[in-house]
Amino acid sequence: MAHPSQLGFQDAASPIMEELLHFHDHALMIVFLISTLVLYIIVAMVTTKLTNKFILDSQEIEIIWTLLPAIILILIALPSLRILYLMDEINDPHLTIKAMGHQWYWSYEYTDYEDLGFDSYMIPTQDLTPGQFRLLETDHRMVIPVESPIRVLVSAEDVLHSWAVPSLGVKMDAVPGRLNQTAFITSRPGVFYGQCSEICGANHSFMPIVVEAVPLEYFENWSFLMLQDA
Amino acid sequence: MLRQTAVHMRGLLARRASAAVTSSSVRMASHEVSETVDMSRPMYYDRVDVPLPDKPYKDLLTDADKTLKQKEKGPWSQLSKEEKIALYRLMFHQTYPEMKQKTSEWKTVLGGIFFFLGFTGLVVWWQRIYVYPPLPKTFEGDSQAMQLKRMLDMRVNPVQGFSAKWDYEKGQWK
Repeated sequence: MAHPSQLGFQDAASPIMEELLHFHDHALMIVFLISTLVLYIIVAMVTTKLTNKFILDSQEIEIIWTLLPAIILILIALPSLRILYLMDEINDPHLTIKAMGHQWYWSYEYTDYEDLGFDSYMIPTQDLTPGQFRLLETDHRMVIPVESPIRVLVSAEDVLHSWAVPSLGVKMDAVPGRLNQTAFITSRPGVFYGQCSEICGANHSFMPIVVEAVPLEYFENWSFLMLQDA
Repeated sequence: MLRQTAVHMRGLLARRASAAVTSSSVRMASHEVSETVDMSRPMYYDRVDVPLPDKPYKDLLTDADKTLKQKEKGPWSQLSKEEKIALYRLMFHQTYPEMKQKTSEWKTVLGGIFFFLGFTGLVVWWQRIYVYPPLPKTFEGDSQAMQLKRMLDMRVNPVQGFSAKWDYEKGQWK
């Protein structure tokens, strides 16, 4: 989750998110370079004492300011496409979970071995125990085994929603009548928070997502207990 | 009507072609009213980057002015300093130093900006008192401290972010 007054991205909890962070650094550096150059040119043009402003053509600078942007765009596009295809790779998931969006909660179904399904509602602010995070905690978390490839099939039961967990680098729209697939692998254990990312009505801001990555034995215990409760 | 327009266009194009073909120095040497490239009406302007406007400053010359203009056609060494200045003032409204003179406009602009910033501040303050509901209980000091402790226990952002800045052995911030 984000810490107070955080401006940048959350630390990566999956390899894809690490790649995205590096790419963002690369693209942002290019953006800073271009912005600094443009700012310098603007200041120079505003404060100049020269008065001959009516030069109409010059081949050399035209070539430079055509070629240089093309090269910069290629330098941005190549890493970008690399990550795009990396995200699409077949990764032989160990577990498939269905995340269904409702107004206004998520429900998760683990149907690989048994029929495990439960709803995940936000804990209202007045019911929070001290130390819990406002608008982020849910009554049931989506528990997954750490360092295992997970496939999530995202859909919706009523209107559009979007299942997003920033620290895992995952966002997938939940479209009614459509199954969208996304996959990730958590590199470290922990609790990762996200929020619904497609406007879906009055309580769109109040249907968070909590993913808890635990070692396999804990996951097995948890799923056993959840099946008993159901 | 189309045919009339066509005739007019040909006339305008012919004038434009002649303006482009004739040398600009020839046109400027006889600096009375000159043709503009975009065919707008000739107008007078004081601009630092365009030294010679389309037309002179004074359009209607008195008799004294006209005799002075006749005298200008002779050798210039016979003109006195006052006459030269008078001829300049016939042709131009301001001198270069007058054009470049600084104004106090920036003080008005800055004052206006501060005034509106202050007014906005007053509006925001009023809103805080009379409009906004009270903050949720999670913003209280104790609750915030417990949330921070829980974030550290959960190892939130342990790589470079939050928990990375806490020294777990010593129990204090790095």
